[in-house]
Amino acid sequence: MTGSSSKGGNNSYDYSFKILLIGDSGVGKSSILLSFISNSVHDLSPTVGVDFKIKMVNVGGKRLKLTIWDTAGQERFGTLMSSYYRGAHGIILVYDVTRRETFTNLSDIWAKEVELYSTNQDCIKVLIGNKVDKDSERAVSREEGMALAEEHKCSFLECSAKTRENVLQCFKELIVKILEVPSLLEKGPVIIKQQILKQKPGYQAPHNGGCCS
Amino acid sequence: MFNSGNNSPNGIPSSGGGAAGEFLWAVVAAPQNRTAVAVTALAGFAVFAIFYKAFRRRLKSPWSVRRPKPLTLQQWRRLFTADGIFRDGGTEFLKRVRSGGVDPSIRAEVWPFLLGVYDLNSSKKERDDIRNRNRKKYEELRRQCLQLLKCSDESLKLKESGETFSNGDDRGSESPDSDSSVDPQAVIQGSPSSEGQEENQPSKEKGTEPQSNEPATENFATWQRIIRVDAVRANAEWIPFSRSQALVTEDRALRAAKAVGLKDYDHLEPSRIFHAARLVKILEAYAIYDSEIGYCQGMSDLLSPIITVITADAEAFWCFVGFMKKARHNFRLDEVGIRRQLNIVSKIIKFKDLHLFKHLEKLQAEDCFFVYRMVVVMFRRELTFEQTMCLWEVMWADQAALRAGISTSAWSMISQRVPPTEDLLLYAIAASVLQRRKLIIQSYNSMEEILRECNSMAGQLDIWKLLDDAHELVMTLHDKIETAF
Repeated sequence: MTGSSSKGGNNSYDYSFKILLIGDSGVGKSSILLSFISNSVHDLSPTVGVDFKIKMVNVGGKRLKLTIWDTAGQERFGTLMSSYYRGAHGIILVYDVTRRETFTNLSDIWAKEVELYSTNQDCIKVLIGNKVDKDSERAVSREEGMALAEEHKCSFLECSAKTRENVLQCFKELIVKILEVPSLLEKGPVIIKQQILKQKPGYQAPHNGGCCS
Repeated sequence: MFNSGNNSPNGIPSSGGGAAGEFLWAVVAAPQNRTAVAVTALAGFAVFAIFYKAFRRRLKSPWSVRRPKPLTLQQWRRLFTADGIFRDGGTEFLKRVRSGGVDPSIRAEVWPFLLGVYDLNSSKKERDDIRNRNRKKYEELRRQCLQLLKCSDESLKLKESGETFSNGDDRGSESPDSDSSVDPQAVIQGSPSSEGQEENQPSKEKGTEPQSNEPATENFATWQRIIRVDAVRANAEWIPFSRSQALVTEDRALRAAKAVGLKDYDHLEPSRIFHAARLVKILEAYAIYDSEIGYCQGMSDLLSPIITVITADAEAFWCFVGFMKKARHNFRLDEVGIRRQLNIVSKIIKFKDLHLFKHLEKLQAEDCFFVYRMVVVMFRRELTFEQTMCLWEVMWADQAALRAGISTSAWSMISQRVPPTEDLLLYAIAASVLQRRKLIIQSYNSMEEILRECNSMAGQLDIWKLLDDAHELVMTLHDKIETAF
């Protein structure tokens, strides 16, 4: 799942990563994605089925193509679409810090999620508590979030899609981790390798695309 | 359409014209011969051109005129006898709606007929009785919702105070408050069906439907929660279509929100709060009424236009029930309904355009998953509010014609001889993909790219063109598709 090959120019990249956003309905998955992609924040209708966005970023001197899949929160949408989730390099698990059940549901689906979505054994996961802008309504403490992340051996961040606080950081955290795992980099099919070979030595990435650079 | 061939601006090849195409030739040939002997060659040509144009217009689908005329108030009134019964059993009514939709001013009156709330043979008196009965049934469902809401609030309070339950089964029975010791599951399963839902009860296909004790993860409490989360996120596109609801007072909106226990609505204007509260009321009642489906995301998209048009909750509820009779299969837990429909779209594309289909196969996209959202919420996300309502009206008219047993031969005009189909929507979806065939074949090399194209069709579709293309597909492929299963 590395997308199509690109023919040089702004579309060429060193690696292509597939990233999934999962979590309960209404925790802000689409908002986090929108906030990351377009710097804009507004009300969104519930996601039906799946959608995805592509963003090119520069991290650690590498040009990366991120295909970020946004999914419907309700579990019953799951089985038909699970095949499209396969082969993810990274998974962002999102809960809403003001609604406790979204946090407990995450630990419930954790086991299922591994089986359903992560065919890549080494797939990187990040736990994200969203909506920290509503601190007065907080129902899940930072410590609890950290504890759950530790239990599942993954990174943890709190963010706000609304104020954009920490949103870029969430993605950066994930990408840096993916880049540290050789097996995830090797899985890129031939297209990507050709891509790298095709690149001219003097190629310079345009500087407007990378949020994480 | 049939003669436009590959010059069609949207690039749909017309090679599959088949029988319909030959029929066109036969009809067109007749006036040419007759006129040729009566006038000079030049005049003959002019007359032929006029005849040809007229015939072409008549032979085209009812949707080939770009801005077809909707059913108007005057026409609507004329269709009834003094007793309020359709003069012709509803044939003329459905024919008109099918070709042009319904004028916005009479939608509230017309939709209950289209959605099967009222029988096409009913009298005014019978309809009044049904309306009263339906209102009572709806009120009963609402009473149960409130009881369950109270119950789940109690269990939530218990949870928050640290007394957690091991699973949902313990809920309710452990409740210290005897007044609210109603188990949400128990209430759903024992309920209102027993109190005579007769013909309104959704059909249950034995053996294919999942048993009601589905994954324990979804129960009424789950639905209540997701319904509320979705209701406050419903978009505001409906606002220009209901002045009375757009201008609702803040006081009334807040009362409505409080009555259903809505949360997180502080950022919304009164009109949207009110709309959200009505969504909650009706979706919750539906979840009890049809507990096999309960609530699934996307259902709020289908309900929003109905509550915009119909201001009385009970009436809107029963229209929604009528709509869901077919649409409920989109939301089944076993996904059988959705798979069947994706399969039909795939077949339509395969029969119509093998070249495109082979390209999809190459990309492993022949399952047509990329039209998933269009199927589930019936183009609601791709079309504007008004376009959606028109498309649905045409689709409902087809379904109503099939329900009433109005066959193709009853459509008197030649232009109406398109067999009504249960699956008009799927033909329209296939048409929207076929309209992009060139782009897909030439430029897209992955399923993702096609999905992205489909998910960004919003604002780019002309529904009458879409229906025109869909009609052509129905004409040429209907029999093949129907027998292909």
